Amino acid sequence: MNPPRSASGASPPGGQRQWPGKAGSTAFAGWRRILRGLVPWGALLPMALTVLVAYLGATLWSLRVSMSSARTFPSDDFVGLAQYERLFDNERWQLSLQNLALYGVLFIVATVVIGFLLAVFIDQKVKGEGALRTVFLYPYAMSFVATGLVWQWVLNPGSGLQQAVRQMGWPDFTFDWIIDQDKVIYTVVIASVWQASGLVMALMLAGLRGIDDELWKAARIDGIPTWRVYLSIVLPMMGPTLATVFVLLFTGVVKVFDAVVAMTQGGPGTASDVPAKFIMDHLFGRANLALASAGAIVLLLTVLALVAPILYARSRGRSA
Amino acid sequence: MKPRHVGRIGVYTFLAFAALFFLAPLYIMVVTSLKSMDEIRLGQLFALPQHFNLDAWRTAWSEACTGVDCGGVRVGFWNSVAIVVPSTVLPIGIGALNGYALSFWKPRGADALFAVLMLGAFIPVQVMIYPLVKVVAAIGLFSSLPGIVLVHIVFSMPVMTLLFRNYYAAVPAELFKAARIDGGGFWRIFVQLMLPMSTPMLIVAAIMQITGVWNDYVLGLVFAGRDNLPMTVQLNNVINTTTGERLYNVNMAATILTSMVPLAVYFVSGRWFVRGIAAGAVKG
Amino acid sequence: MMWARKIGLITATLALAGAALAQKPPAPSGPKAEVIHWWTSGGESAAVKTLSDAYRAAGGQWQDMAVALGEQARSVTINRMVGGNPPTAAQFNTSRQFFDVVEQGLLNNMDEVAARDGWDKFLPEAVLSVIKVKGHYYAAPVSIHMPTWIWYSKAAFAKAGIAAEPKSMDELFAALDKLKGAGLVPLAHGGQAWQDNIVFAAVLANVGGRDLYLKVLRDRDAKAIQGEAFKNVLLTFKRLQGYVDKASPGRNWNDATAMLITGKAGVQFMGDWAKGEFTLAGQQPGRDFGCIAGFGPSSLYIIQGDVFVFPKTSHPDSLKAQKLLASVITAPATQVAFSNKKGSIPIRTDVDASKLDLCAQQGLAIMKDKNRQIGNGEVYMTPDQNGALADILTAYWNRNIPVEKIQKQIAEALK
Repeated sequence: MNPPRSASGASPPGGQRQWPGKAGSTAFAGWRRILRGLVPWGALLPMALTVLVAYLGATLWSLRVSMSSARTFPSDDFVGLAQYERLFDNERWQLSLQNLALYGVLFIVATVVIGFLLAVFIDQKVKGEGALRTVFLYPYAMSFVATGLVWQWVLNPGSGLQQAVRQMGWPDFTFDWIIDQDKVIYTVVIASVWQASGLVMALMLAGLRGIDDELWKAARIDGIPTWRVYLSIVLPMMGPTLATVFVLLFTGVVKVFDAVVAMTQGGPGTASDVPAKFIMDHLFGRANLALASAGAIVLLLTVLALVAPILYARSRGRSA
Repeated sequence: MKPRHVGRIGVYTFLAFAALFFLAPLYIMVVTSLKSMDEIRLGQLFALPQHFNLDAWRTAWSEACTGVDCGGVRVGFWNSVAIVVPSTVLPIGIGALNGYALSFWKPRGADALFAVLMLGAFIPVQVMIYPLVKVVAAIGLFSSLPGIVLVHIVFSMPVMTLLFRNYYAAVPAELFKAARIDGGGFWRIFVQLMLPMSTPMLIVAAIMQITGVWNDYVLGLVFAGRDNLPMTVQLNNVINTTTGERLYNVNMAATILTSMVPLAVYFVSGRWFVRGIAAGAVKG
Repeated sequence: MMWARKIGLITATLALAGAALAQKPPAPSGPKAEVIHWWTSGGESAAVKTLSDAYRAAGGQWQDMAVALGEQARSVTINRMVGGNPPTAAQFNTSRQFFDVVEQGLLNNMDEVAARDGWDKFLPEAVLSVIKVKGHYYAAPVSIHMPTWIWYSKAAFAKAGIAAEPKSMDELFAALDKLKGAGLVPLAHGGQAWQDNIVFAAVLANVGGRDLYLKVLRDRDAKAIQGEAFKNVLLTFKRLQGYVDKASPGRNWNDATAMLITGKAGVQFMGDWAKGEFTLAGQQPGRDFGCIAGFGPSSLYIIQGDVFVFPKTSHPDSLKAQKLLASVITAPATQVAFSNKKGSIPIRTDVDASKLDLCAQQGLAIMKDKNRQIGNGEVYMTPDQNGALADILTAYWNRNIPVEKIQKQIAEALK
C-alpha cells in the first residue's frame, strides 16, 4: 500500500499527519462523515434503480396484469383471482410444477457433484488442463437449440443410443426414456447436466484456486488423507462459492425452457412440460397475457416460499 | 509411491470417461455437418460420413438464406461483437462494485435491496419484456445499441452482483480493515486492492457474461433494432423453422461457427486460473 | 491500472469498428417497406424473394427482417409496435391472432386497395372473414396452405402390395394394415402437439364432414361435442395412433417425411409444405410420392394461411409503401410465383395454374368449389381456445383416457 495519507488525500509536508476534518468545525466534520457514508450508497445507485424500476416495477406490473383479463395487450379490467383459479384447475400447470420439482432436485445435485469432482480432479496438476477445461466448458457455449436436438436424436430409441448399442451386439438393450411419459423428464436432466456441469466446474475451480497453498502443505505434514482434507476442510472453506453455485443453478432450474423446447417440445403430449414453457406458450402463442403473468407470479411466490426460511435462518444466525 | 500412482490412474480414468460423455454430442454435430442430407436421412447417427463434405460449413457461414438476404451467419458477427464488449465490461464492473459495497461496506438496507435483486433473477426474461419495452422506449433508447446494452446490464446485474459479493465474502476481513486503517477510501480500496485480487472471479464472470450475451437471442431481437441484430438472429433463422425444410448439416455447422467466440474465450482464459492470488495478498 | 485502460481502449476500438462496419451505403429512393416475417428456411426464403422482387419491380425498396418461428416473429412485431418503432408490414396467420391488435387501433386498414383491386370478388369466404374486421380490411392475404394433406410413398405402397390410392377412411386403414404386414412403419408421425392436431383436423374433416366440423370448431356447440358423431371422430383419431412407430414422440415433421422419402414408412398426415422436403430429395409428385387432399368428391379443403398486416403509422411514405405492398402481393403473377416456391396455393383462383405442380393444381381445383372451402381452427377460435384444444388432443393421443372424458374436457375448454 502507499504511504499513509490524510483523509482528505492531501500529502502532508514534513510527514506530519494532518486531520483537516478535526481541525475544522464539528458541523463541517459531521457533513463530511455523512457524505463519506453516502459514497457506498452512491456506488449502489445503478443497482437500486435497476431493482426499483426494472425488477420491482415489472413484478408489480405482472401482478396487476394477472388480475385482469388481458389477452395480447394489458387491459384495464379487474377480475380478482380468476386467473389464479384457472391456473390451479389446469392439469398441465400442475404437471409442470411437479416436473420442475423433480427436475430441480436431480439437476442441482448431479451438476454440483459432477462439477465439484471435475474441478477437484482437474486441480490435480493434470497434463492438458487447458484442453480438458475447454472440453467440459464447450457445451455451455453452444446454442441449446442445436445441442438439444442432438440429445433428442441420441436418446431416441429408433435412431440413437439404443439402436447403436443393439447393432453392436446387445439386441435387448433398451433406453427409451424419452418416449416414456414418466421418464422423459430424466432425459431433460441428462442434457441439462451435460450443459451446465462445465460452468459449475469453472466456478468451483476458481474457488479452489483461492485456497492458500499453505493449507495443502500443512495437511500433508499432518498426514491427513487427501479425501479427508477435501471433505472436512476445503468444502467448508468454499462456502461462498457453493452458495453462488446453488443460487445460479436454482435460477436456471426455475427458468428452464430452452432444454425442454429443443428436446421434447414439452412432450410426449405434455409430459415434460415446465412452468416457464407454460408461461411462454400462453404469453405468445395463446395470447393470454393474464394467465401467463399469473403463472409467473405463482412461480415467484414458490421461490420465495422456498428461499425465505433459509434467509431467515441466516439472518438469525448472523445476529446471534 | 504406489498409492500416488493408483491415485493418478484414477484421476485420469475419471477425466477420460467424463471427456467421452461430454464430447459425444460434439462428435455427432461435427459428423452430421460433414454429411450430405441423403446420408443424414438414413438416420445412422454415429456413423462417419461417407464423403467429407465441407459445403455445409461454407453455406452456414456465408450463403445460407435467412429470409430475403442470403448471407449466412457471418452477417451479424460484428454486431454481436459491438453488443458483447460493452455488455461484458459494464455489467462486470457494476457487479464487482456492487459486490464490493455489499460485502465490505454494508450500507443500511442494501441487503434488502440485494435480496429483491436476487428474486428478480427468477423471473423468466420474456415476462419482463413488455414493461421493459415501454420503459426503454420512454427513455428513447428502443431499437438502438445503447438500448440493448442497457437491457443486458439490467438482466445480468443479479448474477454478476452475486458472483462478486460471495467472492469478496471469502476475502479475510482483516485485509479490508488494514486498508481502511491505512487511510484508504471507498474507491481507492476498490480499485487498488480488491479488483486486482479478483482476477479468477473476473475471468469466470467474463466467461459467463460473454457466453450469455453472445448467445442471447430474445433481447437482441427485440431491443437492438434492425441494424444491430446479433449473430444469434441469423443462427436461429438458419436452424429454426416451423414448416420449412431442415438442413441438419448446415444447422450443425452454423451452431459450431457461432459458438467459436465463447470457445476461444474459454481457451484463452486458461492462464488466469492460477493459484493463490488471494493467498498472496494475505501474506503481503 | 494498465489493464483497465487496455480494456477501455479495446472496447472503444471494437465498438467504433462495429459501428463503422454496420453502416449501410446510402439507400436508393422509392417507398421503403420494412417487413417482418418468419420465412427463413431455404425454400421459404426463395418464396419471399418472389415477393420482394415483385415489390422492387413496382418501384419499392424491401427491407427484410426475418425472424424464425411464427410466435417469435409475432411477438417481435407486437413489441416493436408497443415500443413505437413498428415495421411497415408484418406477417400473421390467417387467423384471429391480430384481432387484439386491431382492437387497440394499432393497424392501418387497406380499404382503398381492397376496393380498387376488388378483393371481395376473388377471396375465399374463410379468408375474408378473417381479414375483414368491422367492415374494414386490415390484412392482405399472401398464401393459402392446406394442413391436412395425406402423403404416401409409392415405393412403400408397392412393397406392401397396395395397388390403388385409398379413397376412403376405411381403405386407408386397410392400407395401413397392409403396410404393417409388410414390416414397414404404417403412419410416419412426429409426436409434437401441432402435428397431433393436424391428424385430428384431417379425421374431423374426412370422417365428421362439413357440418360437424363447423359445429365443433366454429360454433363450439356443446351438444355436438358430446354427441355420438364426434365420439366416432375421436375414436378414429385414437385408432390411427396404433399405426405409429414407438419412436415418434418429439420427432420433427421433416424426419417423419424423411421416412417416406427413404421408403421406410407409408403414409403421413402433413400440410402442403411437405412438398419442399420431397423436392429437396429429388422426388416428384405422381412418380415417387402421392398426395391426397381428402376422401370423397366433396372433401373439405382446410384453409390455413399467411397475411400481412400494416401497423399504424402516419408517415406518408410508409402509408404509400403499405398500399403498394398490399397491391403487389395479391396480384396474380406474384401469387403464382410465390405459391410455386412456397408449396401453397394462390389466394385467388383466377390465375394461370399451369405453372403449379400436380398437388397444387389439385388443390386449386378444389378451391374453386365454395362449399369445400373451410377454415382451420385458428380461423374460428381465439389462440387461447385453439391452444387449450391442442393440449387436450395431444394428451388423448399419448395417453389412455376414456373418450367421454375427452369430450367433456373439450366442451369445457371451448365454452
